[in-house]
Amino acid sequence: MPTSGLAVQHRFKSATYRLGTAAALALFMTPAPLLAQDQPVTQNQPSAQNQPSTQNQQAKKYQPATQDNAAVQDVAKAEPIPLVPEKPTWDSFHGQLNAQKYSPLDQINADNVDALKKVWEIHTGDVSDGSGKLPPTVWSATPVFANDTLYIGTPFYRILALDPATGKEKWSFDTHSTLKALTQPALKNRGVSYWEAEHPVAGEPCQKIVYLGTMDAQLFAVDADTGEKCQGFADNGVLNVNQWNDTHDKWPLSVLQPPTVVGDHLILGWAGSDWTYEQAPPGTVFSINARTGKREWTFQALSDEMRKKSGTANVWTHMSADREHGLVYLPVSSPSPNYWGGNRTESAPLGTSTTALDVDTGKVVWSRQWVHHDVWDYDTNAAPTLMDITVDGKQIPALVQSTKQGFLFVVNRLTGEDVWPIEERPVPQGDGSVKGEEYADTQPFPTKPAPLLDQSEKPDIWGLADAVGLGECSALWDKLSYEGMYTPPTTKGEGALAYPDSAGGIQWGGVAFDPESQTAIVNTSHIVQYVKLYDRKAYENADRSTGNESGFAPQKGAPYGMRLLVARNWLGMPCWEPPFGELVAIDMHTGDVKWRRPVGASQQYGFFMPESWGSPTIGGPAVTAGGVVFIGASMDAKLRAYSLETGEELWSDQAQAPAVSNPAVYEYKGREYVAFVAGGNSILKEQVGDQVAVYALPE
Amino acid sequence: MSQPHSSRSGAIVLFVASLAGLAIAFYAYVTPLTGVTDTIGALVVILASVALAVMALTLTALKGRAARNVLRVLILLGLIGTGFAGLLLHQWWIGVAMLVGLIGLILDMVLTPNAPRSVHS
Repeated sequence: MPTSGLAVQHRFKSATYRLGTAAALALFMTPAPLLAQDQPVTQNQPSAQNQPSTQNQQAKKYQPATQDNAAVQDVAKAEPIPLVPEKPTWDSFHGQLNAQKYSPLDQINADNVDALKKVWEIHTGDVSDGSGKLPPTVWSATPVFANDTLYIGTPFYRILALDPATGKEKWSFDTHSTLKALTQPALKNRGVSYWEAEHPVAGEPCQKIVYLGTMDAQLFAVDADTGEKCQGFADNGVLNVNQWNDTHDKWPLSVLQPPTVVGDHLILGWAGSDWTYEQAPPGTVFSINARTGKREWTFQALSDEMRKKSGTANVWTHMSADREHGLVYLPVSSPSPNYWGGNRTESAPLGTSTTALDVDTGKVVWSRQWVHHDVWDYDTNAAPTLMDITVDGKQIPALVQSTKQGFLFVVNRLTGEDVWPIEERPVPQGDGSVKGEEYADTQPFPTKPAPLLDQSEKPDIWGLADAVGLGECSALWDKLSYEGMYTPPTTKGEGALAYPDSAGGIQWGGVAFDPESQTAIVNTSHIVQYVKLYDRKAYENADRSTGNESGFAPQKGAPYGMRLLVARNWLGMPCWEPPFGELVAIDMHTGDVKWRRPVGASQQYGFFMPESWGSPTIGGPAVTAGGVVFIGASMDAKLRAYSLETGEELWSDQAQAPAVSNPAVYEYKGREYVAFVAGGNSILKEQVGDQVAVYALPE
Repeated sequence: MSQPHSSRSGAIVLFVASLAGLAIAFYAYVTPLTGVTDTIGALVVILASVALAVMALTLTALKGRAARNVLRVLILLGLIGTGFAGLLLHQWWIGVAMLVGLIGLILDMVLTPNAPRSVHS
């Protein structure tokens, strides 16, 4: 396999490096939280769409680009659909279409959660650490509870249907998909989607369907009761999404994130290969009929002009939807190439945005761009969380968009207008070393809630790491330029510091929300990275012996290749001060922080660091009416419960690998369960798993 | 001439404590869901425990005072390092084992009669 040489080389280096540092660690007591790894690989860089909205540099021009408010008014006449389901629901990636990750169940509560026990676990067998013929697995699935069954997709692209009380397999379905890293560097999966007919026909198959996508751009539809393919869906149960890959089709449109099911629509985005090409498949989102697999509409995030010379601005993560108002919300990522924008200096208003579409037509209702002319790979990476909040006595249909930058943008979800002011502020204009660039003069900054990271100044150097590194961190800091948030990449020194860059901030777990207390819960990572651009000749001559792991990427076709690294000393210790990750509760009446605390523990070579240092996180929380926040997400692969009220840690258990998705909370036969998938993600740590662990109170 | 039994008891305690540390670390290394399964950290503690056990045995055999003292210093460093590593692995019983080993080392120093100094005339 083409990557095996590099992999072996990397493993050898990694092993020798680890042995040396592990011994040093034991002696020096210096933990080395490995923080979000060298280099992500988020997914993509999407496109823009058929519709306008200029992107320039004046605050006024950055107001929401509304287009079709008539659609909102029309659907508003329809039967009201409660934003918060009236019964416990966990039938999609974020639990509910509103992405609140909220369960009204309260059997497990803050007073008894410490009695939680594992009632069953399974190991799927679909796991690879990359040491064999298969690429490593990255498993970020959230189990879906529907049809009295727990459905899970695996990174080997199988569907498992499990008994919710015992974990006993009801059926499984194997797509027999190719197990090659065709786009992303790992076999990735974020689970399955579930649909059921509003008026099922008795005796007919496929009135309830489970969907699973694959790395090679196939979408499978399987009867939820039997595990048989739905013959009436596309081509005998399989939709070839790649048939619509018609521009710069350098790689397949990988369907790693299951579609978002809104009524009878499957809203489908896709993932690609990061940082590889200047020109890449431009981002598209498709609406597909849930029964037939027929395409209903296509959304494009880039203009026709920009589609020719750039690419992506795709939607690679989950979406959320407001069914009552007929709106689906797209977290749109950045155009290509990620770290140089000389080929795309004109307006791309839908890149790195939240864009609301009419779910029936695909037309843009409004859009807010969170990064103008994105040259940091600040993909909008999580489904916005929909919520009704009361601010100054007025109820507002709101939406919170979390971002990699650590910002939470709060807007009216029907209009895109600010709830709390979002200001356009002047930002650094670079040092002039990068040719062809035209940076945005301003960028949007939320005034409330306050940023979860303080990016206003260069982060302080962590004295312990600097001492252990014999001044290595100080020396690095001197070679990194930083003029504040949105300092552009440079060719000079060791590059430009970013706090954070593509490792986040906040990842795809997004924001959870308790509608009763109107409290938002979000986990965030504090990670310092630095990015340097190399002109083509310098890039070819650069020491790239460590390949992908070191953070080099070619951006082929662009005049610059790039390198992105996490700022660490020789031992792997972060050069900046802890905490490295936090859990934050925000009062959405005021936008103020209710509490914040380090979350989890960093772990390196098996050694746990103090919990006061926290851990970088990937994954997200779930919150319940019992006043409990459940979350995995940390490097130490522990699953935890916190008090919603105070942030106090109430319970924990060890998992096989970091749980890098949101947990699922469901009720079955009168008993409340919490399910975690411990699959791991190399962005966080090189530890993989195939464990599904389910907890409940003793009977 | 072999040492009196009482003078070896400290080294024996140290030896047993090292084996206990080894057993705990090995269990943590091979057992799923200990949090340190298959980790280099647990492996390092296994090796360190083996080294401590070997040094404890060596201590019973060494006769030269200087050599014994050098070995005691090495054992002390090993106990501290291994104990600390055990704590970082959240294997608290390794820390306890190393504490017991430390008691053994102290006993060894207290109970072992000093070898007669060579007299230079």
